[in-house]
Amino acid sequence: MHLPSLNVLIQVTVIGLLTGGVYALMATGLTLIFGVMRVINVAHGAFLIFSAYLSYWMFTSYGLDPFLSIIISIPVLFTMGVVFQRYVLSRVKGDPGLGVLLTFAMALTLEGFMGSLWESTGRSIRTAYTSKVFPIELTSELTLRLPWVRVGGLVAATIALAGIYFFLKSSNLGRAIRATIQNRSAAQLMGVDVESVQALTFGIGLGTVAAGGALFSLIWTFNSGSHEEWISKMLSIIVLGGMASLPGTFIAALIMGVTESVAAVIMTSYLSPIVFYLILFLTLIFRPQGLFGVRIREG
Amino acid sequence: MELLRRWWKPIALLFLLAFPWLYREPYYHVLGFNVLLFAMMATSWNIMGGYTGYKSLGHSTFYGLGAYLVALAANKYGWNPLISAPFLALIVALVAVLLGWIMLRTSGSAFVIATIAMLLIFRLSALNLREITKGAPGLSQPLPPWSPEFSRMPFYYYILVWLIVALFVSWYIRRSRFGLGLVAIRDDEGKAEMVGVNTTLYKILAFGASAYFVALGGGVWSYFTTHISPVFAFDIIVGVDMILMTMLGGLGTLWGPVLGAFVLVPAGDFILFTFGSTTIYLAIIGGLMMLVIIFMPKGILPTITEWMDNRHGPRAAHQGARSMAEMYDAPSGKTTGEDGSSHE
Amino acid sequence: MSEMLRTNGVSRRFGGIQAVRDCSISVQSGSIAGLIGPNGSGKTTLFNLITGVYLPDEGEVLFEGRKITNLPSSKICHNGLSRTFQITRLFWEMTVLENMIVPIRQVGLRSLLGPNMFRYEIDRAMGLLERMGLTHLKDEPARKLSFGQQKLLEFAAILMADPKMVMLDEPAGGVNPTMIRFIMDLIKDLNKEGMTFLVVEHNMGVVMELCDHVIVLDQGTKLAEGSPEMIQTNPAVLDAYLGT
Repeated sequence: MHLPSLNVLIQVTVIGLLTGGVYALMATGLTLIFGVMRVINVAHGAFLIFSAYLSYWMFTSYGLDPFLSIIISIPVLFTMGVVFQRYVLSRVKGDPGLGVLLTFAMALTLEGFMGSLWESTGRSIRTAYTSKVFPIELTSELTLRLPWVRVGGLVAATIALAGIYFFLKSSNLGRAIRATIQNRSAAQLMGVDVESVQALTFGIGLGTVAAGGALFSLIWTFNSGSHEEWISKMLSIIVLGGMASLPGTFIAALIMGVTESVAAVIMTSYLSPIVFYLILFLTLIFRPQGLFGVRIREG
Repeated sequence: MELLRRWWKPIALLFLLAFPWLYREPYYHVLGFNVLLFAMMATSWNIMGGYTGYKSLGHSTFYGLGAYLVALAANKYGWNPLISAPFLALIVALVAVLLGWIMLRTSGSAFVIATIAMLLIFRLSALNLREITKGAPGLSQPLPPWSPEFSRMPFYYYILVWLIVALFVSWYIRRSRFGLGLVAIRDDEGKAEMVGVNTTLYKILAFGASAYFVALGGGVWSYFTTHISPVFAFDIIVGVDMILMTMLGGLGTLWGPVLGAFVLVPAGDFILFTFGSTTIYLAIIGGLMMLVIIFMPKGILPTITEWMDNRHGPRAAHQGARSMAEMYDAPSGKTTGEDGSSHE
Repeated sequence: MSEMLRTNGVSRRFGGIQAVRDCSISVQSGSIAGLIGPNGSGKTTLFNLITGVYLPDEGEVLFEGRKITNLPSSKICHNGLSRTFQITRLFWEMTVLENMIVPIRQVGLRSLLGPNMFRYEIDRAMGLLERMGLTHLKDEPARKLSFGQQKLLEFAAILMADPKMVMLDEPAGGVNPTMIRFIMDLIKDLNKEGMTFLVVEHNMGVVMELCDHVIVLDQGTKLAEGSPEMIQTNPAVLDAYLGT
């Protein structure tokens, strides 16, 4: 462990915040799904990688920019989500551990298909703006150099999260979703069709992951096996954030982004990924309710 | 039928003993070894996942720990893996008890997630503690001393013995008061605690026991393949295979995990052979797991048993309703045709 | 008569709701105490606080003069305090006999790793099942029993732990008059054999006939206590029930 200069620390902190914004977008769907279904969707990472592949495929085959191809990938993933919840996940009732296993099996299936379709070499999208940097001169000594892609990612993530926020606040379906998150049986009594809400929520959850996946494909390299690493990151975030809390997820995503980015410069870059899993492990065990939320304990 | 019921165990054992001589190609010896190895490990997983109901996705942790401990001991001190493995697996079981002591503060989905996190922490540690583990390239072990012609056979018989031990332990636990407590935890943990079962202790011990044979399997496997690396030793798929075998054969039954291994290991081999790619294999086991969870969550054995029971006609189920009336007849002398459930 | 169970100023809050507030009750050994109160008055929460399901925010619980406040439920059971649940809880996948065996206290590793039931334990369990009229069902899974049978089995099973005191959560709830009679006689018999009871019950007839001493809870706190006759005529209690 060694302490870098203050300038470097500021630089990595800002980058960490930018990254955290994208994390927030990726993990929001997971939070929504857990909130409504009380099932941890371990396949979320696989869906993320899948949508990243979709963006990659549309970029390489048709030259569609990932920021544009979202228009196609969001409906595709939305449909997958509705179908998965309606016809697969809803059949498992009772044991929540079984629900987790089922989504895990889904993740394996997706991984297998993606690996067969796209082989397992690492992919990433390189656009004209991939290596462009925004220099921001703070003082004469300190110039922040922000990668364009990450700034764009943060902006897109903010727009998407704000959209979700207003959707939940003001639409009928949004209100039904919030009611189901807070008290499922009460929502049912008040006439909310919980089955449909669940299916739609899963769809929306995967829709956000499609947006996240597009950004993801611009920033990181991925292959079909990457989902294990990423689902763990997203789980750490939502567990730290308190599982069913959207603001909690957002703040936890920023914390994790910064922690990871700082850990990478003060520890060896090999050791720093462990920080993520340690936070997940320790939160689950010593503060299961996370920063802001409910304990995930059933029964 | 009755004859089969009585004699299938000795017949199966004889077949397993003769198998390497009936099928002499090395391929069959490797396959046989893998079947027995996974049968043993699934039996072990079943103690926690089946009897107790805590489904760990991170049991590969113990597989990897067993593999590394055995390989390190062989390289550093020249210990013969086949002798050291049962002892080193005990150390891993102790580690599991310690880990279980922390992890079993969680339950349900949180437990499943915690086990994944545990596995990832250990895998990353194995990758990064290069002074000990040599990092990503991994460790090699000295080759077995016997002639290559027989190279797989000793492994085969060795693991057969341990499979029998594992089955005995699993059977013994299920028959013991301890096992009854574990099943009580699976049924209703709060109630079990309330009637005096020290659930924390029971779960931790079960976790340790279920880690033991997995660690032993990892140790033997490391000698068998002679070269291990973190990615394969701490591979989540090894744990998934154990789960899938147990669930397919029959969760919480004695023979279910074994049946699952005998079906799935050859099937997996066949898939790999036919499609020649591990990715298709993943898609297939993932799909199969989904099918099992949705359509046959109890597994093959319990489904068959249930079917046989139904064929033998409805058992005393109906007596229940009648008996209540009998009970009232006895103490009060009244004849009430009623039964408690009508007032539910 | 000595004191069997005592709570000293026990409180517990859930979110914004004060479920139990500064509640002190006492149960004499050898008595049958009743715990009554309107719905939501905190009776079941108090049960849960006494048996270690929840930790109290404040206050302590004493059993035979020893503090049991922070003990895990299983330890409390080992000390001789057992309970039933308002909604019957059994090990549904187990047989009736197995349900009877689980509560037997385990001492040491040897009994833990011994066979799951000893002859003399089976004999004892069968004796109790006989008393409940459940003998012929011993090998049935608990889930196949009728509602009333399940209730009796839950009661019988906790007796296997040899409790000094039993807390019953609505023993007469949802069962027919014949069964209520049977359960009441059972409680009286067991009480004569020396067992102490604390009974939550809505059926006032049962409370009045069974209990030596009645404690009334309202809004999480003790409103009144005394003999059944005193309680019946207490104006504060009537107010609480009828609503003011």
